[in-house]
Amino acid sequence: MTSKGTFTFMRNQVREQRTQQGLSQAELAAALGVSRQTVISIESGRYLPSLPLAFTIARFFGLTVDKMFDPDEEADT
Amino acid sequence: MTTFIRPRLRKPAGIAVAGVLFAAAWLVRGGPLWWVSILAVIMTAVRVIRLYQMGAKDTDEGALAGSRADERQKLLSLQSRALACNFAAVAAFGGLTAAIALDAGWWWPFLVILVVGGFGYLLGLSNYGASEDVEQN
Repeated sequence: MTSKGTFTFMRNQVREQRTQQGLSQAELAAALGVSRQTVISIESGRYLPSLPLAFTIARFFGLTVDKMFDPDEEADT
Repeated sequence: MTTFIRPRLRKPAGIAVAGVLFAAAWLVRGGPLWWVSILAVIMTAVRVIRLYQMGAKDTDEGALAGSRADERQKLLSLQSRALACNFAAVAAFGGLTAAIALDAGWWWPFLVILVVGGFGYLLGLSNYGASEDVEQN
């Protein structure tokens, strides 16, 4: 978290969930309606998705948003 | 109108229209430099073909060129355009300042760029909700 209380990086479960389900980044991107590059950016924590996309991702994996994205931990960079 | 054009063709079509207008301006102007219009058409054609080819690539640039960008890619484009506008504003201010210092007659295009840019910025604030905090309980 930054000093202003906004998140710039956030750990998420996207990579773990995707590999558990045996999906490639391209397949997940197609399912979510985004580009493969965006999936890569989300997995690495470089891009924080919008709230609608965060819900779409969480619902796709059958999780809640706060289970999918953890605001208490910074992503590995 | 753009919804009638296939996404991959939208940006190339825009460039083609702009290029043809630019070439037509040189042709209408006439004089010994009429051949610049032919050069403009050739350069536009090359740019349109390259943009169309880029639209098929599986990259951020390809997605933007092919008008199929997702939210992150649109944000990238927006940030890049904001940076470009900042550069243009600084350049226009520099040009205006230089023109004034040199007592040159070409100061006004720079002022027009600054005024139009400023108006666009204020229009953006107004359109995109800068005044939404007026509704308070």
